[in-house]
Amino acid sequence: MSNSLEQSFVKQLKENQNIIHKICRLYTSGEDAHNDLFQEITIQLWKAFPKFRGDSKFSTWAYRVALNTAITLYRKSTRSIATIEFETTRHFIKQEDYNFEEEEQIKLLYKAVHQLNDIEKALVFMYLEDKDYEEISETLGISEVNARVKMNRIKGKLKKILNP
Amino acid sequence: MMEELDLLKKDWKKSETNFQQKTEGDIYRMLQQKSTSIVKWIFYISLIELSLGILLSLMLSFTKYDKDNVEFIKEIGAYSYYVAISIILYAVVLYFIYKFYSMFKKIAVDDNTKKLMSTILKTRKVVKQYIAFNLSAFAFIFIAAGSYGFYKGYSTGIVTNGELTKIPMEVTIIGIIILIVVTAVLTCIFWLIYKLIYGWLLKRLYVNYEELKKIDF
Repeated sequence: MSNSLEQSFVKQLKENQNIIHKICRLYTSGEDAHNDLFQEITIQLWKAFPKFRGDSKFSTWAYRVALNTAITLYRKSTRSIATIEFETTRHFIKQEDYNFEEEEQIKLLYKAVHQLNDIEKALVFMYLEDKDYEEISETLGISEVNARVKMNRIKGKLKKILNP
Repeated sequence: MMEELDLLKKDWKKSETNFQQKTEGDIYRMLQQKSTSIVKWIFYISLIELSLGILLSLMLSFTKYDKDNVEFIKEIGAYSYYVAISIILYAVVLYFIYKFYSMFKKIAVDDNTKKLMSTILKTRKVVKQYIAFNLSAFAFIFIAAGSYGFYKGYSTGIVTNGELTKIPMEVTIIGIIILIVVTAVLTCIFWLIYKLIYGWLLKRLYVNYEELKKIDF
């Protein structure tokens, strides 16, 4: 019984692992820290899994647990204070859509997002994931209006960082 | 011009295929590992704190096996207070353990972020109140026991000198001041250690909780 629970968990986690990878990407720098947080999120998901009823999609539920782990439960281990910059984890862009100016801007944007605080990162993350404000507000436990206001402030903040 | 974040979103979607994928074997291995979350830390530290309180109560109850102590307490007419204090101490310890346990059970990682944080902080608060109670109990008992020791030591001195005078006022005052200072210093040390541990553990949580509250005012 518990074995089949574990199997179903591992299978679903494997299919949805990019959610966790993306959160690790925002909240850590360096491969060690990435894997460290990934592991903690996996453990937290597994611990909470028996309560997961399937009323919502696994992914929706995983978003919440993973974000909570990153923001609230996770204690950065000292070895995870790495200085490796974001670009090292960046992907290669195919030659045909290479746009130097845009590429530079994106690099700067990633850097700017990394400088935001934990809560702002969570908002940006959900925005990038196309979550609507209803889900953002429910996940963080703030009102929809205030989530919107905050998001606009973050956009302004990023604009300022990019065009000082 | 395209909004900055939408530019990022375009790239964010493209980079999705870029992560080194974990295999099922990797995930199974991770499930064998221990969590290092602050909730776990809080649990263990709280256990230590709760047992310190129990230790204090136990230490107090051992005093009753010393006949002289009991005789003396009876003599000065404080026996009923002594019994009452022992009972209160145990009752309070039990109450806090129960409260801690029920609060701790409420910490759910799939709650919304704000609620999760507030439940963790409330659980902390239970233990904090418990420690505050214990420190005051400690201070009270220390002063009471200290005065007793002082009184007893002094009267023994008097008897050997064969004189029966009252304790001079200055001696009493100095004795009380020393007692209070020692108690205050000891209490402060405990309090400082306590603050350090939790400052280290919960700083980030406090910062994030404040940030969330600021958004929602």
